[in-house]
Amino acid sequence: MIRSFRPDAGAKLAGTAGFGYDLDRPGMRFGALVLAARAHGRLDSVDLAPARALPGVVAIAADDLSTLLDGAHGDPERPPFASREVMYDGQPIAAVAAPTLAGARAAAAAVVATLAPLPVVADLESVFPEWPEAPIASSAPIAAHVHARRGDVDRALREAATVVRGTYRTSGVHQVALEPHACLAEVRDGLWHVTTSTQSPFGVREDVAGILGIPERSIVVDGTWVGGGFGGKGASLVEPYALLLARAAGAPVRLALTYREAFRLGRTTLPSVVRMETGVTDGAIVARRVRLLLDVGTSLPGRDFATGYAIGFLLGPYRTPAFEVEGYAVRTHKPPFGPHRAPYAPQAAFVVESHLNEVARAIGEDPAAFRARHVLAEGDRTALGQEVSAFGLSEVLRRATAVRDAWRRDAGPGRGVGLGLGFWATNTGAGGEARVLLSPTGLEIVQGEREIGSGSVAVGLVAAAERSTGLPRDAIRVTYRDTSAAPFDAGVFGSRTVGALGQAVDAACRAALAALGDRLGGAGELRLELEGDEVVAIRGTARRPVRSLLTPEERRDGGLAADGRHTGAPRTIDESLVVEGGFYPYQDFTGAAHVAEVDVDRETGAVRVVRYAAFHDVGVVVDRPTATAQIEGGIVMGLGAALTEESIWSDDGRLLNPGLLDYRIPTLGEVPPIDVTFVEGFAGAGPFGAKGLGEPPIIPVPATIAAAIRDATGVSLTELPFTPERVARALKRA
Amino acid sequence: MASFHVSAPPTAEEAVRELASGAPGEVAVLAGGTDLLLDLDEGRARPARLVSLRNLPWRTVVWDGAELVVGSTLPLRALETVAGLGERHPALFEAVRAVGGVALRHRATLGGNLGRSAPASDLLPVLLALDAEVDLVGPGGARSLPVDRFLRASRETALGRGELIRAVRLPEPRPSAYLWQRVRPANDISQLSVAAAYSPSDRRWRVALGGVPPRPVLVPEASTPLDGPAPSPAAVAAGARRIAEHPALVSDRRASDEYRRGLVGVLYTRCVRAAARRAGAAA
Repeated sequence: MIRSFRPDAGAKLAGTAGFGYDLDRPGMRFGALVLAARAHGRLDSVDLAPARALPGVVAIAADDLSTLLDGAHGDPERPPFASREVMYDGQPIAAVAAPTLAGARAAAAAVVATLAPLPVVADLESVFPEWPEAPIASSAPIAAHVHARRGDVDRALREAATVVRGTYRTSGVHQVALEPHACLAEVRDGLWHVTTSTQSPFGVREDVAGILGIPERSIVVDGTWVGGGFGGKGASLVEPYALLLARAAGAPVRLALTYREAFRLGRTTLPSVVRMETGVTDGAIVARRVRLLLDVGTSLPGRDFATGYAIGFLLGPYRTPAFEVEGYAVRTHKPPFGPHRAPYAPQAAFVVESHLNEVARAIGEDPAAFRARHVLAEGDRTALGQEVSAFGLSEVLRRATAVRDAWRRDAGPGRGVGLGLGFWATNTGAGGEARVLLSPTGLEIVQGEREIGSGSVAVGLVAAAERSTGLPRDAIRVTYRDTSAAPFDAGVFGSRTVGALGQAVDAACRAALAALGDRLGGAGELRLELEGDEVVAIRGTARRPVRSLLTPEERRDGGLAADGRHTGAPRTIDESLVVEGGFYPYQDFTGAAHVAEVDVDRETGAVRVVRYAAFHDVGVVVDRPTATAQIEGGIVMGLGAALTEESIWSDDGRLLNPGLLDYRIPTLGEVPPIDVTFVEGFAGAGPFGAKGLGEPPIIPVPATIAAAIRDATGVSLTELPFTPERVARALKRA
Repeated sequence: MASFHVSAPPTAEEAVRELASGAPGEVAVLAGGTDLLLDLDEGRARPARLVSLRNLPWRTVVWDGAELVVGSTLPLRALETVAGLGERHPALFEAVRAVGGVALRHRATLGGNLGRSAPASDLLPVLLALDAEVDLVGPGGARSLPVDRFLRASRETALGRGELIRAVRLPEPRPSAYLWQRVRPANDISQLSVAAAYSPSDRRWRVALGGVPPRPVLVPEASTPLDGPAPSPAAVAAGARRIAEHPALVSDRRASDEYRRGLVGVLYTRCVRAAARRAGAAA
């Protein structure tokens, strides 16, 4: 008997939980993709004949789409296969299916693609060597330009007593879900079925419909247990190929990526360069200018979601009277930019926090004290004019500062202690619906979303229903349905699951209780209790088993069904400040302050994190063990981004480290003791005032480690990640 | 991964015969497979047959007087737990502990590491500094080679067609040390490593450099300045200057030449000092 706060722990430990890689059907074929082996090239021909000559093999490419889709046309900007031009290393050119996995791999290798080289843009800085001194040419490969300002920044900077400037570089990082993308597709009864390891079954349905040009009502998406997503499984990736292969083969097809393929194909955070200038007079920030070049890979013009978002985070959670921000989304020959846990926020926090530390030092003030005078609080307005709701950043900063000071007092030689802040917003804007079924013996939450590993579905939604109804968790379960039967939800991402979907569950529970209350009579708050195996409804002195309150139809259908819905409250920024592009308001304000102690080997550049403390503004704690685990996991992932993880591309745009040996996620050996503190009382956008926790814990980590290294060595690092070689080089230069 | 046939002959003679019957590239030795598997997976090697050594009686480790004899198929995890290894061959103990994680060391072998001869091997610099002898068996009978002659270039050894590594012999316990630098401390490939050992019998030092192309090498010019078991700071500084001039300190995708040149003297100095401390403790 396994005891855990996670209801899914037993099946996962016993190996009985089915992931995408475990999908199997009688007569199933194995799929494989043919990936382009150069980053930019003219695709002169794709010869499938050698693959098709192999036993039991089907092979498809761009020319086959029209036949396979009965003449339907998908979004011309998102073709599944390259047809005339290859735009990034690893772009799919063709797909094959065979009776065995080895047969599929052999067939993929047999496809002959003739690819003539074209010039490659691999490095965003190479495109703009003069930036920001010289303006960007109109012919430059720009996917988006965002620009906002308030006040006369030139004048404010000119007149400021002190101006600090810095240039920072951030690296591309990968999600590295332990389970690469995997799905199984079948086409039967006129429906396109796909079962997949995804963060968003409804998102996959919408994507597949767009890419293949078939109506959503003809597509059914079911989920599996998910071996990690971290943003990489929020949209479709393998699903359209598996469906096309299933159609071509007339049989179910499983398509599961290898790690190498997941690295090459995956959409994730790409490199950036940021220039920052901050002016200070009498100890107060008077103006800030931020310029950003963000690599967005082959993101399409108008489809770049990242740049406006990124630039918002680059303003930081600080009061700034005058500002100007300008960002360019630069197209390179890499896969499109995609979400990676808190897209770009850890990178932005590294830049903002590192820069702020230099500003504070330039005026001779302790960086924590400087922050305390500038952090946003409820009632303030952000740089972009949004009113700040309940925000616990001052409080987490105050508590983290005390820990920093205590650790610093005992730190020995070679040691340094740093502090970093981060902010985020619970993304409750996207809509969610929930259905609950109250039976005589318990409560069922009907879901299309799957548990992706964080506990937000398997524990978080159950905890929400527990709070709403009073029922113990043993009597509440989640049942998973495909998109044809489940209530709609936007997806398990953006720290929104408990925040948005949890409210829908709460609303559905309250609707069920209200319906019950009309039948029970009595007055006051209605609660449910478990008496033996029986659910009992209680209000005041009234007390009856739910069984006796159900109609005959409800008893026949398994219980009283109730629906709940969540839509985010409208939030606005001051659009008059926007010159060009999209900037986004926040649903709430979620703060975190981290403290790290590091040991720096000044001769080798090696950094070891000795201990770590995290203070999080969470609104209310919905489930303590799950929340703690989220924070610990986020910090470990952040340590990877801070110290060892970076995607490396060759000058001709090939990803040089598409594997777990050279793309270095942390091992347990590098994980320090982590102390987690929750700060409650600053209500967020989630149910019961909760704030999302999926993303906040990764955000302050690189900033915090940089500050600790600065404290240990006196040297400020301006480029992520802080590998021993980079640290040694910075120390040598200093 | 292409398909292949695996055999596991019960005797060395049969294993040698099976190996010798195949053309190079057509047959490969499986002695743990932790490195070979990557080549198979990536399609860099496509042997039709693998000859597994798992049934051979070479999973042994014995102290023969001062000499330590390690059977070539002994898993590194078993070597690591040999009583007295840390005291008598501290550098070897440190190097073995630097290979992968525990799970990997349950499969990886000393013979496999030698036979595959990877430039970044953590074990080979130590075997060089300890003057290891490699015992071979092949179609022409048995022979022994010093490890420095056994290793040729990156992934190239003196192994002849059909020849197998039977055992590795370390002639005497030596105060020694092994230090490496990596981007990530665990489960990573060393960007640079240094092994140093002091021989009580000939009263000389051996210093070897690892993590550099084309193969780990002895650096005699960095050991000659070292005067006795407790070398003077001036001697260590002289050795550190010399090792930093080594031509193998070049740029590749793991590190720049600038970093390696700055680092090598640091690792060398720490390594020699650690070995000298152990020599002092042993005296």
